[in-house]
Formats: sequence, structure tokens, C-alpha cells
Amino acid sequence: MIKLNETPLRTARNFNINNIKIEDIEFPENIKKFNNANLYLESSKDKAEFLKHDTTLTYGLSETFYKQVTNNSNYELKIDINSKMKNSITLDFNFDENNTNLVENIYIHAMENTKSNIAIKYKTPENLKCFHNGIIKIKAEKNSEVNIIFVNFLNTNSNNFLSIENEILEDAKINSTIIDMGGKNSISNYYSNIVGNRADNKLNTIYLGKENQIFDLNYIAELKGEKSNVNFEIQGALKDNSKKHFKGTINFKRGAKKATGNENEACMLLSNTARSLSLPMLLCSEEDVEGNHSTSSGKIGDKELFYIMSRGFDEKSAMKLIVRAKFNKILETIKLQELKNEILYDIDKRLD
Amino acid sequence: MKTNVEEINRNIYDIKNKDDYDFKIKKGLTREIIEEISKQKNDPEWMKEIRLNALEVYNSLELPTWGPDLSELDMNEIATYVRPKSKLNSSWEDVPEEIKNTFDKLGIPDAEKSSLAGVGAQYDSEVVYHSIKEDLIKQGVIYTDMETAVREYPEIVKNHFMKCVPVNDHKFVALHAAVWSGGSFVYVPKGVKVDIPLQSYFRLNSPESGQFEHTLIIVDEEASLHFIEGCSAPKYNKVNLHAGCVELYVKDNAYLRYSTIENWSKNMLNLNTKKAIVGKNAGMDWVSGSFGSKISMLYPMSILNGEGAKTEFTGISFAGGGQDLDNGFKVVHNAKNTSSVVNAKSISKNGGKCTYRSLVRINENAKNSKCSVSCESLMLDDISISDTIPTADVKTDEVEFSHEAKIGKISDQTIFYLMSRGLSEEDAKAMIVRGFAYPISKELPVEYAVEMNNLINLELEGAIG
Repeated sequence: MIKLNETPLRTARNFNINNIKIEDIEFPENIKKFNNANLYLESSKDKAEFLKHDTTLTYGLSETFYKQVTNNSNYELKIDINSKMKNSITLDFNFDENNTNLVENIYIHAMENTKSNIAIKYKTPENLKCFHNGIIKIKAEKNSEVNIIFVNFLNTNSNNFLSIENEILEDAKINSTIIDMGGKNSISNYYSNIVGNRADNKLNTIYLGKENQIFDLNYIAELKGEKSNVNFEIQGALKDNSKKHFKGTINFKRGAKKATGNENEACMLLSNTARSLSLPMLLCSEEDVEGNHSTSSGKIGDKELFYIMSRGFDEKSAMKLIVRAKFNKILETIKLQELKNEILYDIDKRLD
Repeated sequence: MKTNVEEINRNIYDIKNKDDYDFKIKKGLTREIIEEISKQKNDPEWMKEIRLNALEVYNSLELPTWGPDLSELDMNEIATYVRPKSKLNSSWEDVPEEIKNTFDKLGIPDAEKSSLAGVGAQYDSEVVYHSIKEDLIKQGVIYTDMETAVREYPEIVKNHFMKCVPVNDHKFVALHAAVWSGGSFVYVPKGVKVDIPLQSYFRLNSPESGQFEHTLIIVDEEASLHFIEGCSAPKYNKVNLHAGCVELYVKDNAYLRYSTIENWSKNMLNLNTKKAIVGKNAGMDWVSGSFGSKISMLYPMSILNGEGAKTEFTGISFAGGGQDLDNGFKVVHNAKNTSSVVNAKSISKNGGKCTYRSLVRINENAKNSKCSVSCESLMLDDISISDTIPTADVKTDEVEFSHEAKIGKISDQTIFYLMSRGLSEEDAKAMIVRGFAYPISKELPVEYAVEMNNLINLELEGAIG
């Protein structure tokens, strides 16, 4: 059994949320190069190099996962953004029988005054047991904007581990979206170091659990710059025996005057054996800030269901409509229509 | 411009009497010391066994790996039992002059005359005064010190003592069970409504010592009670320790309100444990004002075991310089149609740290349960700290759970508005802080609400402006 994804601040041990304990994780050895990744770069000004980069993390999942990426990555990529993009950079990792393990090290460097749109997708065929452990680091220089989406379409036999770390300088923005669907265990660690004045970070997440899936989401934002801002919006639904642990920390550091931080997490429970565990933390060492968080859990309201069913829908379709409606605020922000359709199709299939 | 005052005058709370005692156990925590406490207290054999077993549990448990730093606590420097030079009295006239004067200044005898149905007063490790109104005795209400309860109602005590809070709950519960002394026992018989509150006041005078009182309250079916707990101590240079334990049993259709105004001195480590088991359609309300202590780790808990049980927590913490108040609430929904409402507030100033830490657990069998949590934190300067660490564990779908929290400073607009109506900036801020605390003070009987407002005023002196 291994313990990972520790919260930045511990609470009582019997609350069962300081970390997650997972059994039966097999770390693949002698990993071959991952050969089924498709990278599409829009502008010739932007540069992609298949190079290793520093993997040091402030938080991360655990020493073991960090070391695996540092010492045994099988996919390395460094992207320099030098343009203002209209379209997107896409990177699709397509797992197959020859590419069952992905241990990637990605670094994205957005130069001053640039704008980029990036989509990274992980997809496995049904039933093939795969393993993913990645570190993705993003640095947004002054006045740059990075719009990035991570889509996890792994099957429920596979394991998904992902550490994301952002550094956001003055007037820069990182808008992240995480669509977390797959994996027997899907464990993610997201850290934003919001150092610049007026720096901004938005994170929208959708998760949808079924069968015995476990999601452990550990999101941390440290606000250090004046008038900096962070916004976490997490919408999820849990079917069958699936479980979700959400740990969201917004930390206002001394000096982050007039900073704002908001965190909203809502979990729809679609079965009476699903389990939702939440720890939305607000840590504050600065007086002149505004911080809010809210969480809610519960099933879909009978009134909402009844209303839609009275319009001629059967119960399952009504339930799907409601779940889709809750996710819609986040889905609307996805600009890549093809990817959006794929996500909608996947949501529909998972809710069947 | 902000004026910071390092030490505020806590006037009546800081009155120090001479460390004059009848017996003080040597410092430390060994089997011999526990046996000596048990001997001094004339424990029955079963109680001695509980103590010795608890010592073993204490030694086997680790200090918490979370929360405030407790490294300065050295049990070898704490005397766990101090018997004052007074026996238990039922008339204030019989209480020794110096001790009586302290309680006079704290206003206990006056409150007893005007607004209470019974009073218990503990000085160091023993209860020195206990009384209850005649009509309650006639209705079968028992309100006495714990030692008398162990002697006179052994079966009730055996069935309830350390059953709601198990000895292995955490290290300081085990410590408490090993060295407990004093505290109150209340039994309200079936159907009896105690309209006027009972109050127990705990005063720790002796330096480098601990207070470990045990409060056991049983409110039988369809009965009701309001119990008030007050505590204070003068400030010394070395740490004092408070590790009390409160066990509350609220039977079917009964109601209990447990109010606390805690104003320990700022060298006190307050590691108290409070838990209630709530029966079918019963109600348990907690009202809590936490002002004192150097470090506080206090998380009252309601276990809603009966169908339709309800609980409400209304609390405020106020941390000044050098204080680390890690407070909160825990609730377990363990039956159908249960509900809980939490309203927690905190104020930090002069470098003080307030943490709201909580747990809401809604178990598989708690269908149709509801829980709503709201916490608000106010920062009065930029050197203080305010953290919110709430955990929610929902194990079934047929629930409505919501939590919201906000953190921030007093809005400039509100201050400007009040100043435009003729208030000084300092008065405007003080008014806003009192308004912030109003939802808690309105839940207290008027005398205690006044005391709480006085404490807020006292804490605010020099903190804002």
C-alpha cells in the first residue's frame, strides 16, 4: 500500500483525508519509449523540443511518482510559446498494446505577451490495462495567457497519476480545465504559484465516477501577488460505488493585498453507495483579501427530475440532462468543438 | 494607524491567589502518581482500574500530527492534582475567604441569585461549592460534583463514564481518564423541564498544574436542560494544562443546550474534549465563546444516533497576540432524518491565529439528512492568521449538504458609512465586530451575553484604530 497526494496542511488522521492510500499499484519497469503521441503545433514561431526538463515540484503526488518521472520518463517535451495563437496546440496520447505505459515530463513556457491554447488528451482502448504518471509544468511570463485543457479518457482498468505545477507572473493568466473521467484510480495534484501582481488562475474541473473508480483531487493555489486572483470551480457526479476525495486549498500569503480567491465544489451523488469526501481549505495570512469557498453534496432533486419527466423524458434521460446542465458552465468554455463533442459523448456513455 | 497593545488587562480574570493548597501531587505522570491520585480521592477499585488502564493507553498514543505545536507541553512539569484548602460546601459562607472572594469577583454568587437554578464551583482540582434549588431536587434532578456521583450513583456513572468519549479517542482523553478530578454530574429525570440554567465554573489558580474536570450530563427522555460552563485562570509564565472531558447523553425527545464562555489565561493549553450522543427526535445545541488560552484544540461533537435528532453549533473564537485557537465542530449523522446547522465565526488580531477545523460525516444509514455549515472569519490586521479546514464525508445520496465559508477584513465602505453617522473609526470598527459576534451572543442568557460583549470590548482595546 502506498500513501500519496498529501494535503499542504494536515488535519485529524481519522478524518481520512490527509492523503490517499492505494493498494495494488504496479509500477511498470523497463518502460519503452511512448510512440503513439500526436503533437500538432499551430505556428512555426512556437517551438517544441523533445527534451527533458527540471521536474522539481513544490508539492506533487509523492517521492516515488516524482522519481519515476525524473529517472524513467518515456516521453519528454518542452514547448516555448512565442505567438498569439488563434487555434490550438493539441497533444494526444493514444495508448495501445505497444504503448501501455506513459511517464511524461512536459514543460510549457509561455513568453511575455503571448496567448496560447493547448489541449492534452489521454485515451486508452477499452479493457487494456495502462499506466500513466506525468509531470506537467507551466510558466506564464508577464502578460501572457495560457488556456489549457487536460482530458483523461482512460478506461477503468488503468491508473492515472498527474502532477501539474503553474508559475504565474505579473498580469499573466492560466485558465485550466481538467476533464477527469477515467482510471481505476485517478489521482491528481495541481499547484499554482501565483506570484505576480494581478496574476490570475482559473481552474474548472469536471469528474464523473462509475463502478469502483476513485478520484483524489488535490488542488492548491498560493496567492502571493497583489490583486492576484484564483478561482476553482469543480463539478462532479458519482455513480455506483465510486469515490471522490476533493482537497482544495487557497492560501493567501502575506503581501497578497486585495487578492481574491473563490472555490466552489458541487458533487452530485447518483447512487446510495457512492462516497464524497471534501476538504476545501482557506488559509489566510493577509488581512486585505477576499476568500470564499462553498461545497455541496446531494442527489438530484426530485422536483427537478419530476419537472423534466413531465415534459416527456424517461428518468434516465432526465437525469442525464440535469447532469449535463450542471457541467455545462464548464463545457461551454471548451473551444475545440471536436474535443467537446468527444467529451459530451463520453459523459453520455458513462451515465448509461 | 493601528495601535498594538501587547498585554491587555484582563482585570478580574487575572487575580492571582497565593498558591496555597491542602495537597499537591508531585509533577509528572507515572503509575505511582496515578495510584496516589486514586488513593487521595478514595476511588472505588473500578475507577482506579479505569485510571491505570488509561495511563497505558496514554503512553501508547502519539501526539497529534496536525494542528498547533504542542512541543512546549512537558508532562514532567505539570502537577495533575491540586486539592485546595476547602472541602465541598453547600453555602458560600463556608467557602474559605480567599477562594470565595475570587468567585465573588467573577460574579458567580450574584449570578446564582439572579439567574441560575444551580451552581458548581471548582477551584484547582476539587469542587468547593455545589448547590441546586429545592424545587429541582423535589423533581428528582441531580446536580452534584463527580466525586459524589461516583460514590452515590455508581451504576449510572459506570454505565456512562468514558463511554461517550472512549479512552482511546486521543492522547489527551487518555490523560484525562487517568488523572481526572472534579467536574459536575447532572441527571434530569424523564419529562422534567429545567427552565433556568445550571452553571459550573472552573477556576485554575495553581501554577504549573492542570485541571482535568469531568462533566457528565444525562437528560432523560422528554426532559430539557440548559447548562452553562465558565472557565478562567490567572496568567503565569509557565504553561498550565486543561484537559477536561464533557460527556452528554440526550435521550429520546429530550433537549440540551450546552453553553461555554471560555476565558482561560494566555499561558493555558486548552485540550478539552466534548461529545454528545443524541437520541430519537432529541435536540442538542452548543453555544461557545472561546477567548482565552495560549493554544486551544476544541472540537465539540454531536453524534446523532436517533432518528430525527437535531444539533446546532453556534460558536465564536477570538485570538489575540500569541494565541493559537484551533477550534471547530464535529457531527456524525447516524440515523434517518437527522439535521445539523453550524454557524462558526472567528476574529484574529495582533498576530493571533484562528483555525476552524471541522468534520461532517453523513453515514450510509442517514437517509434524508440535512447539514448546513457556515463559517466566517474576520482579520483585524495584516499580521494575524485565519485558516478554515473543514472536512465533509458524505456516504449516501439522499442528503442535502452544504458548506460555505468566507474570509476577509472589515469593509472600508461599512466603516465609512458609520463614520459619516458620527462614530469615530475605532467605535465604528468595535460596533462592526460586536455585530459580527451578535448571532452568538443572542443565543446566550442576557447576563452571559453582556459578559461576552465585555470580553470582546476588552480584547478590542488597542487592537483596532
